[in-house]
Amino acid sequence: MIRTNKLVKVYRTDEVQTTALNAVDVSIAEGEFVAVMGPSGCGKSTLLNVLGMIDSPSSGEYFFNGEEIGKLPERKRSDVRKHNLGFVFQSFNLIDELTVYENIELPMLYTKVPAAQRKKRVEELMEGMNIMHRRNHFPQQLSGGQQQRVAVARAVVNKPKLILADEPTGNLDSQNGDEVMKILADLNAEGTTILMVTHSQYCAEFGNRIIRMLDGQVVTENVIRQYL
Amino acid sequence: MQFKFILRSMARNKVYAGINILGLGLGIAAVLLIFQVVRYELGYNKNFSRYDRIVRVVTQSQSSEGESWNPCVPIPAMFAIPDAVPELTQVARMREFWPSISVPGAEDGTPPKKFLRKDPSVAFFTEPSFFEIFDLEWLAGDPKTALRDEGSVVIIRSEAERFFGSWQAAMNETLVLDNVARVTVRGVVEDLPPDCDLPINMLASWPTYIAQQALYYYDDNWGSCNSSNQVFGLLADASQLGAAERSLAKVGEKQYAENSSTGKADKTHRLQPMSDLHFSDKLNNSAFRTITKGRLKVLSFIALLILGMACFNFINLSTAMASQRAKEIGVRKTLGVGRGQLLRQFLGETAVVSVLSVALGVAVARLCLPLLKHISDVPVEAPFLSLPQTWAFLVFVTIAVTLLAGFYPAVVLAGFEPAGALKNSVGAVRGGHRAWVRQSLVVLQFSIAIAFIVGTIITLSQLHFIRTKDLGFDQNLIYTFYYNNDSLSVAKLNTLKNRLLQAPEVEAVSYNTDPPSSGNSWMSNFAFPSNAEDADFALQIKYADTDYPKTFGLRMAAGKWYDPSDTMKQAVVNEAFLRKMGVEKPEDAIGEDLKLGGRAGIIITGVVQDFHAFSVHQPIAPLMISTQRDYYYNAAVKVNPGDMAAAARAIESAFDEVYPEQVFEGHWYDETIARFYEDENRFANACKGFGVLAIFIACIGLFGLSSHAAARRAKEIGIRKVLGAGTAGITALLARDFIKLVLVAFVLAAPAGWYFMNRWLQDFAYRIDIQWWVFVVAGAVALVGATLVVALQTVRAALADPVESLRSE
Repeated sequence: MIRTNKLVKVYRTDEVQTTALNAVDVSIAEGEFVAVMGPSGCGKSTLLNVLGMIDSPSSGEYFFNGEEIGKLPERKRSDVRKHNLGFVFQSFNLIDELTVYENIELPMLYTKVPAAQRKKRVEELMEGMNIMHRRNHFPQQLSGGQQQRVAVARAVVNKPKLILADEPTGNLDSQNGDEVMKILADLNAEGTTILMVTHSQYCAEFGNRIIRMLDGQVVTENVIRQYL
Repeated sequence: MQFKFILRSMARNKVYAGINILGLGLGIAAVLLIFQVVRYELGYNKNFSRYDRIVRVVTQSQSSEGESWNPCVPIPAMFAIPDAVPELTQVARMREFWPSISVPGAEDGTPPKKFLRKDPSVAFFTEPSFFEIFDLEWLAGDPKTALRDEGSVVIIRSEAERFFGSWQAAMNETLVLDNVARVTVRGVVEDLPPDCDLPINMLASWPTYIAQQALYYYDDNWGSCNSSNQVFGLLADASQLGAAERSLAKVGEKQYAENSSTGKADKTHRLQPMSDLHFSDKLNNSAFRTITKGRLKVLSFIALLILGMACFNFINLSTAMASQRAKEIGVRKTLGVGRGQLLRQFLGETAVVSVLSVALGVAVARLCLPLLKHISDVPVEAPFLSLPQTWAFLVFVTIAVTLLAGFYPAVVLAGFEPAGALKNSVGAVRGGHRAWVRQSLVVLQFSIAIAFIVGTIITLSQLHFIRTKDLGFDQNLIYTFYYNNDSLSVAKLNTLKNRLLQAPEVEAVSYNTDPPSSGNSWMSNFAFPSNAEDADFALQIKYADTDYPKTFGLRMAAGKWYDPSDTMKQAVVNEAFLRKMGVEKPEDAIGEDLKLGGRAGIIITGVVQDFHAFSVHQPIAPLMISTQRDYYYNAAVKVNPGDMAAAARAIESAFDEVYPEQVFEGHWYDETIARFYEDENRFANACKGFGVLAIFIACIGLFGLSSHAAARRAKEIGIRKVLGAGTAGITALLARDFIKLVLVAFVLAAPAGWYFMNRWLQDFAYRIDIQWWVFVVAGAVALVGATLVVALQTVRAALADPVESLRSE
């Protein structure tokens, strides 16, 4: 599904040049649950952003489903994103002006799903995530765990092929964190590919492979469970 | 959902939404009011269906003083035009007059009913072709015959109702014009709309004019060009204007050359299209109201400036707050929303703000409609929101504001890189560039506001200068009124004067053609001394009796006033006359004679000190005052200080006693003079109103920006306070950035303000010098306003508990 070839990302300011990704080669097969680990500043999130097409590489190649993404115009990349990817962030990134229901519904508006279908799908997800009773609440009225469940629901509402999760449990207590990880594991079990950045070995072990990074490079790849 | 989102977002940011809607709403209200003025003025005379084919014949004169224009046509030329100009399918001779009107008493002893003239209204002597040119709506009578015979008039519906109770009752009734001419109502037409430069209340037949030659100065002479004698025509086709003018050029060619001292025609006739009648700066019209298109452009420009300022607020606040929306934009982008879609979303949001602002603007404009009279002639009752044009304009304004205010912020917001947006580092990456744009817009806003303040101070100073300037005569405590100068009335003038002087309130009474300063001008060619060649410029003339200097407090520079006489034998001249003729000492002119027109041997008995015979727009011109009793029609009564209302009543009752059949209409002379400067008053009012609005809009924008800056820097303020900074220091730190911008604005606005106001002042022959303090005051007002607004926010931020702001991190 994903293959990169010497992926480089360099951040420049007037005085400093930081290499966040230094010739990274990764490949992720469909159905994998891959965790990316490493110390702060090692380039995990940058890798996630580049693979999620919300940041562009400085050089190197990135193939998504066999297509070179780096060469695509922004509009095309938006399209790929819209139909294939779902994001879960550490800080939830829910839109404050929208209710729980509306936040989850949002991606389907952009993919022009008919209203009746949208309603059905959102309700189904709210039921599954146990947030139905909060449907008309705004994000600030929810607990962290509830917010992250809404975020996960939003990420999966369009049934994406790949979910990118950036420290999804980073802002949650262990109980809520556990719940979110279980949801991700279930999604993976249903066939969704997951790429997750995490600091937590515990969380990483929900996946079947761990990529370890240091100073912008991939140092080791541990296989936890062989993907079948 | 989008709409809900926008409303929720506004509810969360009430202050900023309020500033945007208030600023834009006020800006739109100003634009709407100016639209109403411009629309109203541009709509003038369009009530006539043949508007684009109607022309007025006018006269262009050449002299050593330059070119001048007059709507007059000599009576013989009037008769020559129909044959000479075949391009005109209809020609109507017209003579303006402003009669007093009464309904005669009946034999059974019913007293006559007298009616005051309604302002503005004008009567014309004219002929049936008038109705072929100007379509009027007939209620009674036949347009072909109504003005055929002597003594026939057509009146408008409201006058018919005023005179006879109903228009139906008016037909074939008798009216008396100027106490002399008995006429019969042969037709009633609907009133003309107020936006028409022919505010007709009556049309009288041409034969009536000829029958009343003496009363209405019928002068059948090529040399006599009276601005009340006019000709209107109808072109077969508007494109024939040029051809018609070429035919018209032949009219009077020979006669004007014969009358001219150079032997070459000094006059030629031109055509003024009806569409120019309201906008000419050279030619007046019967409504005595013109407005140049330049003035309308200035007004429209002011409207654009005000609206632009309000849009700048929106741009500034939206981009300043962009970082607050970074997360939302990042999320939307990760969901695959393209730049174009986001752009449309943000423009949609701006459109909602625009619609709300337009609603507020309409409400404010509706409320402020009565204020329009302070800056324009638009009547309060003129249609406004009922007009489809107004609504079309509102749609246009909504779209324009949406694009003007929304486009730049939309481009900025939609351009966020999603990864950066989610990390909220947008501000850090791009803040420098946007801050520059914001600062420029604030500078521009304050420049405009300061320029308006400079304009306001200078117009008010010039008006004060005009009002307090020694005009060279007294304008206070003088009551003036016109009387009929038919031989019957003139015979009783001495009786009237004696009756007036018996009243304890009255100090002096003078009969004359005009008060010292008036809109009228009598001019003649002249020679000084009598046996010299005619001077190459015309002399201004006033005719007045010997009580004139006492009544108006004129001061003599040398010699004495002339002796009483019915005709012109002696005269006084002014100092400007001596300067122009090279006479150094006033005494040297005494006893000299001059020739006026063809009349030689008029002895100069005195030199009167210069006074302003016109408004202070014009320099004091050479002037002669002499006697000519049969020309007088104006009476001026000087009263003692005290109860002025009682004095006016005493004057009116004396008049009524002597002339029971005549209509009395008196005015205080200082009020008449004040009306000369109506235009300047309006300009000053517009400056004041728009200046206050500009400052207000700039300040609320600054309020929003500074409150945002304070919020954004809450953590910095917290840290500084923890490290020991005081409230004053922090306030200064935050305020400094904004105050700097106002100072830059001042540097830009001061020279621009000086330039434009200096140009405006050039229109006055007598004017103030622009003082340095004007700029200091304007700058200080802007600075104090800005400082107060910014301080309000920054002091609050500086006083906040640092623990709070640090904890929020």
